[in-house]
Amino acid sequence: MKQSVEERIEKLKMKNATEMLNIFGRLLVDNREMSLWEHDTKTLTWGVRRWRRKALKFAREYIRPLAVKADLDPHGYDPKPILAAAARNGFQTLMLVPPLGTASMLPYFRGTAFQIAVIGEEFATECGGLALLLLAHNLGVAPLLLSGSFRNYFLHLIPLYFKSFVLGKPDCMAFAITEPGAGSDVEETEGGAKAKLVTTAKRTPDRKGYIINGRKCFISDGAIADKITLYAKIEEEGIESWTCFLLERGMPGFSLGRSERKMGQRAADATELILDNVFIPNSNIVGKVRAGWANNRNVLNYSRPVVGAMALGHGRGAFERCLAFCRNTYLGPKRLIEYQDVQLELADMAISLWSARSMIWHSCKQFRCYQSASASAKVFASDTAFKVCNQAMELMGDQGYLHKNGVERAWRDSRLTQIYEGTNQINRLALFEHHLSTDFGTM
Amino acid sequence: MEGEPVASICAEDMEHYRDLARQYARKSINPILEGEHSDGNLSLLPEKLKTAFEIGIAATPDESLSGCQYGIWGGATGETGLMPSLLLLSTIAETCGGVAMCLHAQGLATHLILQAKKKLPLTPVRAGLCLQEGLYPPFLGTIMAPDQDAPARITTVAEQKNNRYTINGSKSFVYSMHDPDAYVVFARVGEQWGCFLVGAQEKDVARTDAGVRTGLRACVVDHVDFDHVDIPLDARIDDGDARGLVVHAMSLNWAGMAAIAVGIAKGASVASRRYAAERYQGGRQIEEHPAVKMLIAGAEASTATAETSLLALRDGNLTSWNNLQRSAAVKLSVMDLCARAVTDCLQTFGGYGYMEDYGMEKRLRDVTVLKSAAGSATYLKQLIFDIEKEGLR
Repeated sequence: MKQSVEERIEKLKMKNATEMLNIFGRLLVDNREMSLWEHDTKTLTWGVRRWRRKALKFAREYIRPLAVKADLDPHGYDPKPILAAAARNGFQTLMLVPPLGTASMLPYFRGTAFQIAVIGEEFATECGGLALLLLAHNLGVAPLLLSGSFRNYFLHLIPLYFKSFVLGKPDCMAFAITEPGAGSDVEETEGGAKAKLVTTAKRTPDRKGYIINGRKCFISDGAIADKITLYAKIEEEGIESWTCFLLERGMPGFSLGRSERKMGQRAADATELILDNVFIPNSNIVGKVRAGWANNRNVLNYSRPVVGAMALGHGRGAFERCLAFCRNTYLGPKRLIEYQDVQLELADMAISLWSARSMIWHSCKQFRCYQSASASAKVFASDTAFKVCNQAMELMGDQGYLHKNGVERAWRDSRLTQIYEGTNQINRLALFEHHLSTDFGTM
Repeated sequence: MEGEPVASICAEDMEHYRDLARQYARKSINPILEGEHSDGNLSLLPEKLKTAFEIGIAATPDESLSGCQYGIWGGATGETGLMPSLLLLSTIAETCGGVAMCLHAQGLATHLILQAKKKLPLTPVRAGLCLQEGLYPPFLGTIMAPDQDAPARITTVAEQKNNRYTINGSKSFVYSMHDPDAYVVFARVGEQWGCFLVGAQEKDVARTDAGVRTGLRACVVDHVDFDHVDIPLDARIDDGDARGLVVHAMSLNWAGMAAIAVGIAKGASVASRRYAAERYQGGRQIEEHPAVKMLIAGAEASTATAETSLLALRDGNLTSWNNLQRSAAVKLSVMDLCARAVTDCLQTFGGYGYMEDYGMEKRLRDVTVLKSAAGSATYLKQLIFDIEKEGLR
């Protein structure tokens, strides 16, 4: 009997065509019906897989309901409950393994930043600002961990984590390097040597600590942080004297300046810190005196893949919302998703995101993050995310720029990832700084 | 739909238009943008737009106002070509894309009203254009036959009963100044297009704000519903088939939007040059850094290319298919070039570019809305291909 074209198409579909293979052939075909997300998740080790699923659930339960309000009215919502919820779930203590922290043991030693990158993508998929609010804390903690100082671990890091995860009373941390006259300078070697820094630490005559004066700007979580890892040069010396200090809220002389009005990631503040004769005791020096520059650069190596993952999340958020829109919206008698030109565009977006994810996962799957891989992942993922967000907006026509559809929010959020943690230009140069005297390949 | 191309204007006139726009921007738009508002203090806008009517930049069908002929897309466009309006829009957009879009939307509706060869029952001051339904403007198949699903038919219908038309339907993404007095509405009349002037205050006309938007916030964007709106027969603008006016409206709309995008990109380039000369990083001005040079030079090259494409439209015949195709191509390429230029310029500011204080993020938001508005890249490519395929000229 002659079959219709529809019947023949149905028969030719991979799932049905597989039936023609023998049993062993069929075993070698993956016909499982699952999302790309699920496919990717199954490639992860058990510990990371668990954190990815947990982060997805948390993002949908806690971040999604708050995302619109936090973006439209960043000063009108209280960030403390979501910070507390994240801490209770162990997301704020992922820089250490049990019993001190919550990171899964084996994956941690294979890639210290990997678990944070994985949850960063999930959080940012729902809201870039709230993702930054939660993840900037880890950035603030990183100098303590990377200082290599057991004194810092016992005095600050372990109590911080204990209070957060065990007692459920999290302290929020922030990381302060940027100064009004030195943004990219402090993220690159040559610029650092010539940077005009204003934040200065002067040893007290009794040698019990340092007096700090100066200003820091664009500090994520600066307005809500309980403790801040802050870098200052020693008196009249250059950036090579940079030292990291642990600044605590309430220290006399420390106050907040203006909170910036940003295009996106609005749920997280970017605040100016004003330091007017702030006394910091010796016990609050992070690592060694004058070791701040190395510490800062290494923190950036660990944080850049996470920023790339957040960018990836913004792109994925835009993609997922655009996909849902195309499924639900009709153009004439057909749904948008049934048009091939729309499918082509969506496929391009999915491929871009997939490649960015592969690069990020590859870049932080090692115990110590290194500069070239981190910088490359950050640049590629942030450029990709911005491109994908643009594609999503365009595909939705005039609906794309309406706030209610959520795609333009992801677009605004993604643009910042091309700027912070070093502009993408600085990050590109970081590759050559690392490989100036070596080759990229094997030749 | 063929017609004679119009004459170009001289360099002196061009400078006059630019100067007029610069003065308006300096005296009226800059005060709006002062202070801590992400898109300027928009409560000042109605007063500043009134000034635009007074000095003749804003077109209006009201002949007692000077902009009727020589405002943006005013009645004299047929004689002078598009150049004056393109220059005015582009120069104003260097300061604020949203205000330029307001003037463009007003001019577009005015221009269509002025195409009527007869006296219309009302003479609005402010007007908006209702053409689009749903996501995109009409595709070629729908322009040719509004009652066909090609891919989506026009659902706003005008039916003639006795001496009146009854209009039913919904239009989306209607750009206008605040509180328009009337709408120019494209609707299906049987198998053909009709174009009507409908009072915005009619009781069965309902406006709904499109909601919070990414950019161009100085401009009002509404969805407008017509629920059995009765209008007199002489409120019909066209002479029996408004297909030519549809083509006209779409061409002009894209030309104006492209001019605004070029203006925004030029404004961004100037701002980034200035910032790069003032800002020090690594002990030297950032304009000395190769990364910044590359960004600014690339942006300026993109802007120059976009402007060249735009100016190719200045003498076209607005009702020809050929011109519609060219306008679509210009919108497609100019938006891409300008958006790239603006984002590169923003990048030179580093973190400051992302903050509202420097105005760069507003430029990026505005140009991005222009990209998606009134025909996305996918839609435009489809239209360009279809016009060529059908051999329309």
